[in-house]
Amino acid sequence: MASGRASGSESCAGCAHFRRAAGELELMLPGLRSLSSAFASVRSGDGLCARHDRYVAASSACAEFRVGTTLQPA
Amino acid sequence: MTEIAERSGPRAVSGGSLWSEVIRKEDWWAIWIGLGLVVVAVALFSGGQNIKWIAIAPQKWSHAGELVGQLQAHGLQYLALLALWSVLFGIAAGALGLRPMRFVSAFVVIFLVALGLYGLGVWDQASRYSLEPPLVALALGLLISNTVGVPGWLEPGLRVEFYIKTGIVLLGASLPLTLIAWAGPVAIVQAAIVSLVTFGVIYLAAVRLGLDRRLAALLGTGGAVCGVSGAIAVGGAVGARREHVSIAISLVVLWAIVMIFVLPLLSRALGLSTGVAGAWIGTSEFADAAGLAAAQAYGGFAGTVPGIHGTADAAVSAFTLMKVIGRDIWIGVWALVLSIVATTRWESTGVRNHAGIGEIWRRFPKFVLGFLAASAIVTWAAQGHSYAEYKHSVIPGVVAPLQALRTWAFTFAFLSIGLTTRVRQLVSIGARPFYAFTLGVAVNVVLGYVLSTQVFDGFWTRLGQ
Repeated sequence: MASGRASGSESCAGCAHFRRAAGELELMLPGLRSLSSAFASVRSGDGLCARHDRYVAASSACAEFRVGTTLQPA
Repeated sequence: MTEIAERSGPRAVSGGSLWSEVIRKEDWWAIWIGLGLVVVAVALFSGGQNIKWIAIAPQKWSHAGELVGQLQAHGLQYLALLALWSVLFGIAAGALGLRPMRFVSAFVVIFLVALGLYGLGVWDQASRYSLEPPLVALALGLLISNTVGVPGWLEPGLRVEFYIKTGIVLLGASLPLTLIAWAGPVAIVQAAIVSLVTFGVIYLAAVRLGLDRRLAALLGTGGAVCGVSGAIAVGGAVGARREHVSIAISLVVLWAIVMIFVLPLLSRALGLSTGVAGAWIGTSEFADAAGLAAAQAYGGFAGTVPGIHGTADAAVSAFTLMKVIGRDIWIGVWALVLSIVATTRWESTGVRNHAGIGEIWRRFPKFVLGFLAASAIVTWAAQGHSYAEYKHSVIPGVVAPLQALRTWAFTFAFLSIGLTTRVRQLVSIGARPFYAFTLGVAVNVVLGYVLSTQVFDGFWTRLGQ
C-alpha cells in the first residue's frame, strides 16, 4: 500500500489502470449523464481504477501503479 | 451499447492545467456561449439595436392554424436560430472531444422537437390540460427511451447538463446583481440548514443499516448537496467503489424524476406562491436540471391557475438562488472535508487521495461564475435608466430576448433528461441504500417546506412580486 504523496508520474493520472475519458465514464456509470455529466467541472480529473474497481481522483496513488501507454482526455 | 462519439489519441491532453480545464469542461463552454450572447445583446442595445429577430419564440395561440401561420411567417428566423445554436454548441462539442457533425445532426432533431414543445406551452388551453412544457418534455423523453428506445445517432445531442448550464448563465441576465446580493445570504442559510440535516440523516441511517461509510457519504451528498454531481464529486474525493457510485446515481435519478412531478403538484395543491414554491423546490430537488423542470413548470401556473400568486419567473429565480447559490457552490468544500475524513478516519482502501485546499476550486461549478457575470453585465447596462425606462426599454430590448434563448436551452435539457433516463440501465439499488436515501428525502421535503413556507416565507413571497 502506498504511503506519502505520490509524484506526478506515479499518481492515478498516469496509470494504465485509470480510465477517465468522459465519454467512456458516461457509458461505465449508467445514469450519469441523465442529471449530470462527465464533462462537468465538479468531476475534476476523477476516473475509474480498473485495478481496484473504484472511482478515484486523478491525484490519488497506490502501490500497484503501472505506467500508462497513452494519456487520456479528462 | 451506446456508441462513444468521443475522440481520443493525438488530441488527448494530460488534464489539470487551466487551459485544459477551460477547453475540456462544459462549464466553461456554457459560460462562453451564455455570456457571449449576453454581451452581444447588451452591445446591440447600446447601439440602438437588439437580438429580438433571432431570439424568436412561438407566441400565444388558440387554434393550430395560428401556430402554423407563425412558423411560416417567421420560418427564416427559426432557421437562423437553429443555425446559431448549432454553431455555438457544435464548436463546444468539438472542443469537448465529441464529433461536431454528429452532434449537430442530432441537435437538429432536438431543436425541432423542442420547437413543438415550446409551441405547445403557449397554447392558450395548455394549463387547462396541465401541458406544462417541462413536464411534457420529460414524459415524452421517458416514454420514448423506455419503450421504443433512442436511436444511436441521436445520443450525441443529448447533453442535459451542458444545455442547463448555458440556460442558467442566460438566467443571470434576468436577475439584477442587487437581488442576488439581497437574496443570496438567505438562500445560503436555508440551504445550509437543509443540507446539513439531510446529509446527517442519510449518512447516519446508512451507517446504522450497515452500509459502507463511503457509500453513506455518496448518498448523503447526492441527497443534500447537488444530486448526481455531488455524488460523483464526493465519490472521487473519497475513492468510492464503482458499484456504490452507480447506486448513488441511480437513487438520485429515480427520486429526482419523481420529484419533478410531485413537488409542483404538491405546491399547486397547497396554493403556494411561485417564489415560495421555487424556494421549496430549490431546497428539496436534487439536481439543477430536474429542479428547473419542476420550477419552470410551476411558474407556468402563475396567471393561469387560480390562487397561484407571483410571477412566472419567480419560481425559476428562487429555485436558482436556493440551488445554485445555496447548495451547488459548496460541493468543493464537501468533497474536501469528506476526503480528509475518509483518509484519516475510515478504513483504508489501498488507494490514497491527497486532497488539498485546491480541491475547492477544482470542483467548483464554474458556470456559476457565468451566471453572476451575466447578472453584473445587465445590471451595469441598466444603470442610468429609470424604472420606467428599464421596464419599457431594457426588458424588451435585452432581458426578454435572453429569456427566450434561456427557455430554448432549458427545453433542450428537459427533453434530454427523459431521453437519457433508461430505467433498465440503472443498477439494482438494494433495499438498505433505498431506505436510507428515502428517509433523507422525506426529512428534506418536510424541512424544506417548513423553512420555505413558515420561516422564510415572507422573503420568498416578496421575491415573487
